[in-house]
Amino acid sequence: MNCLETSAMPQAAEAPAAVRRRWPEQGYTRIPNWVYTDPDIYRKEMALFFAGPTWNYVGLECEVPEAGSYKRNWIGDKPVIMVRNEAGEINVLENRCAHRGAQICWQNTGTVKDFTCPYHQWNYSLNGNLQGLPFRRGAMGKGGMPRDFDPKQHGIRRLRSVNRGGSIWATFSEDAPSFEDYCGPEVLAEIDHMLPGKKLKLLGYSRQLIPSNWKMYLENLKDPYHATLLHTFYITFGLWRADSKSECIPTGGGAHSVMISHNEGKKVTEATSEMARFRGDLRIQDLETVTPRAEFNRGRVGGAWIFPAAQFGIQANSLKTRHVIPRGPAAHELVFTYYGYEDDDEEMTRLRLKHANLLGPAGFVSMDDSEMLKQVQTGVTGYPEGLGVVEMGGRDTRPADYMVSEVLIRAFYEFYREAMEL
Amino acid sequence: MSEQWTLLAEVADISPDTGTLRAVLDGEAVCVYKVDDRICATQDRCPHGNASLAEGYIENGTIECPLHQGVFDIASGAPLCPPVTTPIKVYAVKVEDGHIYVRTGQA
Repeated sequence: MNCLETSAMPQAAEAPAAVRRRWPEQGYTRIPNWVYTDPDIYRKEMALFFAGPTWNYVGLECEVPEAGSYKRNWIGDKPVIMVRNEAGEINVLENRCAHRGAQICWQNTGTVKDFTCPYHQWNYSLNGNLQGLPFRRGAMGKGGMPRDFDPKQHGIRRLRSVNRGGSIWATFSEDAPSFEDYCGPEVLAEIDHMLPGKKLKLLGYSRQLIPSNWKMYLENLKDPYHATLLHTFYITFGLWRADSKSECIPTGGGAHSVMISHNEGKKVTEATSEMARFRGDLRIQDLETVTPRAEFNRGRVGGAWIFPAAQFGIQANSLKTRHVIPRGPAAHELVFTYYGYEDDDEEMTRLRLKHANLLGPAGFVSMDDSEMLKQVQTGVTGYPEGLGVVEMGGRDTRPADYMVSEVLIRAFYEFYREAMEL
Repeated sequence: MSEQWTLLAEVADISPDTGTLRAVLDGEAVCVYKVDDRICATQDRCPHGNASLAEGYIENGTIECPLHQGVFDIASGAPLCPPVTTPIKVYAVKVEDGHIYVRTGQA
């Protein structure tokens, strides 16, 4: 008897979940709370954005220095591996065995000759080709794989990938435009500014799990309005100010953005007096913590958000990439990768590391964000029909040449609504 | 100067099904092969995945590892296809009255 004929197996794959939601009539100046909580929304985002025609940050070339060096990462909820092959090229592979789907690589970094799935020891080359599998010819003359089993048909998939100045990006889609076209000139200029083709040096990582929807982190990085209010460390010690010369530029139809400001030091003005938490009398003992040494950016602080989930930027002398890994509707992982240039002197490397204290889970600045986003998630989860208001700086989506603006969030939701058909 | 030979195994113990036999010499596993009517010996451990070559398959003078189908030339120990890239040790063999001896050094 054929089991398949009598089983209750579904005949076809289920269609993607239909989203039954209506965007508020005010348009992109309102954000409905259900975009942060609805599992159907989340599934559609994973399929449409992370698995769709987007370019996703995977890592830095300096993280995989030699043949067989690998780094595990995720694109949305899909596990991937970045690995350098024997020819010195960098591959981005799906991290799943062609046999039963297990993750074949369980460690974040390491060096291997090839990959072996721990479950049944299927073995793959650094290019993802299936090299062999145990008992292919059976045991004791019995069993084994069918004679026509073709290992070439059962490799692990290698994604389209590019290397831009030492940063590695990949896409699941054959329809995605070129990386350059995807980014557009403004975002590309920011990446090239940060990665000017010099050899990079890996300095370290920080990782954290933040109990909020991944878009809240994206919005946080598109929201300079909060920076001077929530981050008292910034204003108290003069790293960032509401009256700093700055720009907010939505690009890529609102998906990406560029945000720039200039480090102008500590001073008391009308803008700082608005801030309830500004304390002009506070002094930091170790001024070096907030004092960048002059370098290529000439005090220009900023960065680019590259949709869906990466940000490149500089803070004091700390160079880093931020990568957001969604972990369900109400959580995301945030990974900072700190780097420098191979031609940095010892002093500069020390400063890059020291200024990394601003960032990450316990960073003098960044810890405010993860704490805050948890509170936002708790609030919106309790009131899924509620609305967020993003009208600071107006109701349009034109670039702004000042800081106190939510234009980048509005532009993002203009993009988002069209893409999600909401 | 004379060669030193050590008794390793008996021809009669080589499996007629696989043409191989795993034997141990000074704590090292050795694979003995009957290739047509010739007796050969190599290291038994595949350097790729640490499997026993004695559980593999002989074909046209080559041994295919049972784990990931790496193939070695039995006579020379040369690796012939991925995933194996390093040669395996080959022993000099002589057979007397059904006893298999391998050369273990020069006395």
